[in-house]
Amino acid sequence: MIFQVNDMRKGRGELISRVVSRWMALAGEGKVHKDILPHLHVQLDWVQYKSNFREAAMVRKSIRNGGPSPLVEIAIDLRQVDDETLGRALETAAAEAAPGGNAPPRVVLEEFGPMRSSIIWAFNKLYWQHRTEWEEITGAGYEKALPSGSSDGHNIQAIQDQVVEFYDLLVDMDAKGQLSDEIYLMEIGVGSGERALLWLDSFLKLDREKGAGYYPKLRYLLCDYSMVALEHALERLGPHREVAVPREVDAMDPFRALSELRYKVLYIHLTNVYDNLPTDDAVLRDGRIYLIEIRSYLNADDVEDLCQTYGFRTDTFAETVRELLDVGPRVLDDPKQGMRFWMALWSKLQLEERMVTVDSLSEASLPSGLKPSHLEELVTSGPGTVRFQLSSGAVGSFASTIPLLHPRGYLQVMDIFVTELTQYRGGFKGPGKMDGSVVNWVNGALLAEVGKQAGYDVHFKPFTYREGSRTSILYTTHRER
Amino acid sequence: MSVPILPTAVVGSYSMPSWLERLKTEYSFRKIGKSDIDEVHDTAVKAAIKDQERAGLDIVTDGEMRRDNMIDYFAERLPGVEIDTRSKQFYYDFYDSVVRGKLPIAPMGLIDDFKFLKANTDRETKFCVTGPHSLVKRIKNEYYPGEEELALDIARVMNVELKELVRAGAGCIQVDEPYYSGFPQDLPWSVKALNALVDGVDARIVLHICYGNRYGKPSWAGNYRYLFPTILDANVHQLTLEFAWRGGEDLDLFKQFPNDFEVGVGAIDVKNDSIETPDLVAERIRNALNFIPAERVVVLPDCGCHNLSQPVAFGKLRAMVEGAAIVRTSLGA
Repeated sequence: MIFQVNDMRKGRGELISRVVSRWMALAGEGKVHKDILPHLHVQLDWVQYKSNFREAAMVRKSIRNGGPSPLVEIAIDLRQVDDETLGRALETAAAEAAPGGNAPPRVVLEEFGPMRSSIIWAFNKLYWQHRTEWEEITGAGYEKALPSGSSDGHNIQAIQDQVVEFYDLLVDMDAKGQLSDEIYLMEIGVGSGERALLWLDSFLKLDREKGAGYYPKLRYLLCDYSMVALEHALERLGPHREVAVPREVDAMDPFRALSELRYKVLYIHLTNVYDNLPTDDAVLRDGRIYLIEIRSYLNADDVEDLCQTYGFRTDTFAETVRELLDVGPRVLDDPKQGMRFWMALWSKLQLEERMVTVDSLSEASLPSGLKPSHLEELVTSGPGTVRFQLSSGAVGSFASTIPLLHPRGYLQVMDIFVTELTQYRGGFKGPGKMDGSVVNWVNGALLAEVGKQAGYDVHFKPFTYREGSRTSILYTTHRER
Repeated sequence: MSVPILPTAVVGSYSMPSWLERLKTEYSFRKIGKSDIDEVHDTAVKAAIKDQERAGLDIVTDGEMRRDNMIDYFAERLPGVEIDTRSKQFYYDFYDSVVRGKLPIAPMGLIDDFKFLKANTDRETKFCVTGPHSLVKRIKNEYYPGEEELALDIARVMNVELKELVRAGAGCIQVDEPYYSGFPQDLPWSVKALNALVDGVDARIVLHICYGNRYGKPSWAGNYRYLFPTILDANVHQLTLEFAWRGGEDLDLFKQFPNDFEVGVGAIDVKNDSIETPDLVAERIRNALNFIPAERVVVLPDCGCHNLSQPVAFGKLRAMVEGAAIVRTSLGA
């Protein structure tokens, strides 16, 4: 049995020792099955997000070629540890981890599958489709759900600095006769349009000061998968509408919608998009790679409560959830009541996980945009035992975005990045719940690997415009080595 | 062996397998030895030749499997060029190479590589070298007064090697000069250096100019207008240019500036993984024939296939061969 502490911050020692002591006591009492002990890993995590999909103690079994495999993990979220319930939570997990052991009664909403294919992403999409209604019910805009209460993407000083940097590029290209009549730049995930507005205001002001007359040549592509969001953003832009071009674009695959702009876009910006795209998780243990499969569920008691409160039948609850995902809050005659049901359901939604042994990366079902060589490089140079995100959506988006870049263009992404694989050993980086959406840290180390093999060096710098911000800025430069 | 009208060829490189990339990087760190990597290269070259033959190309190269990139293969071989640090993080990275004194004339060792190619195919062959202009953009100059002087001296040294290549049986030599597009202002002295390079070299000389293909993306933007009329002074038989991903707009330049060049028409987009249909290739070739007589057209990809995976590269070359065949048939050839 191995204990792995994934939370190395000061002041955790006592909490960790309480959990370990309690677990050892259970083992001493014979409540941990002896057959699992040689292959048991107890993971002590601090889950980054207070609101998440995990029980205080969860069991991860492993499979290989469809059958059981010896490795078992019990993952404890130290953040949820409560002295009163700790003993029961550990005992329940131990019983489940035993050969033939079962989880407590649950209503399962889907079969096991890759995380990127889970219905949690349907919930995520539903949230962005009905964000306005969600905000009406909660009385708070979605930005209020962010840890800082506002988006770092709207920081005016940061925007002004970014505009100056871009302007310098234009001046240099102009001096070399490289500037074309149309200057393409784009923002993927436009939110309310606030950032585009601030950016264009700053650019126009600078252009007037410098007198180069670049502003009318701008083609600011507002890209979002939601036409409603695009319309709102366009309205917000007011007089800048003349230089704005709304485009319906799936952030997971921008090139598909914008292929005519290949090698033409000089500046691409995204804020808080990658952290909201589907991901997969992988685990490195004892020299083996496992891919995490998940299925979502609710505890049977929670289903009972929800059904009683909202008038649903427990035996058809899974179908009710699917109906909610299809039609949204109008699943109930009173949409406000439907919203409350959705919120309550979301807060109770949990994920069960299992680890699938990968014998050969070349045969693994990796997310699009990810090649075995990307992972091999990372795994070879990374820590021996770690769980990390494959950031499937972000990698796919990144790989599908960079072909749009002009030979002198660059990509800039503001998000929460893990920049080295070792950082995963300091905390469990997702998935978490943010209002109705899913949030994950983004594996920047993997993006750097993907970038390197596409001819870009990927750099990260901390967002220094707000104290305490966890945002980093990813930017690309052409790999000149 | 003669080639048909609208002959087909690769520009130079063939798909670089990821296993070979890894081995090259390991060799850079001296994790594997010289004799092993030489053997690996021989095997890879044979496989690249075989794939080109299977795809039906009329003219084949060694796939440039021995080359880390278009600069270092020559920087390592050019007498007088020094490389202070031999290990690199990734084989594809460039060495920091430097010239600290006058370049002496000495064999570069290209002959053996050419002979290996020749010994492993019955098809027409092409051997590619990086031109002096592109080399001076990556080799640091600490001796000559300027880039032009260094380029002319590189041309002087390489000219001897090219003549040796011809003696060894090379009938077609291609000079790669992608950096022309990044530094159009250098064109007058670049062409001078090119002419010095090929002076007295009794072979069919091809000049390849693209907008860069490092990591499968362009390094520069623009159009080929900058080449004319200066390029008309280049003592070459063939210009090979990229027209697939950039479109055929620049083809009109060959009407605007009358010339006798053969034109290697880039008809395959090597910066994109989707495999063209033969009909699309045929359409691109026909478009070129509106500006250049068929007798002077050679059909190629835009640039090297280095960054494409093997199945994609092979599929594209196969489509190119079939597309050329469609046009040949319609010409009654």
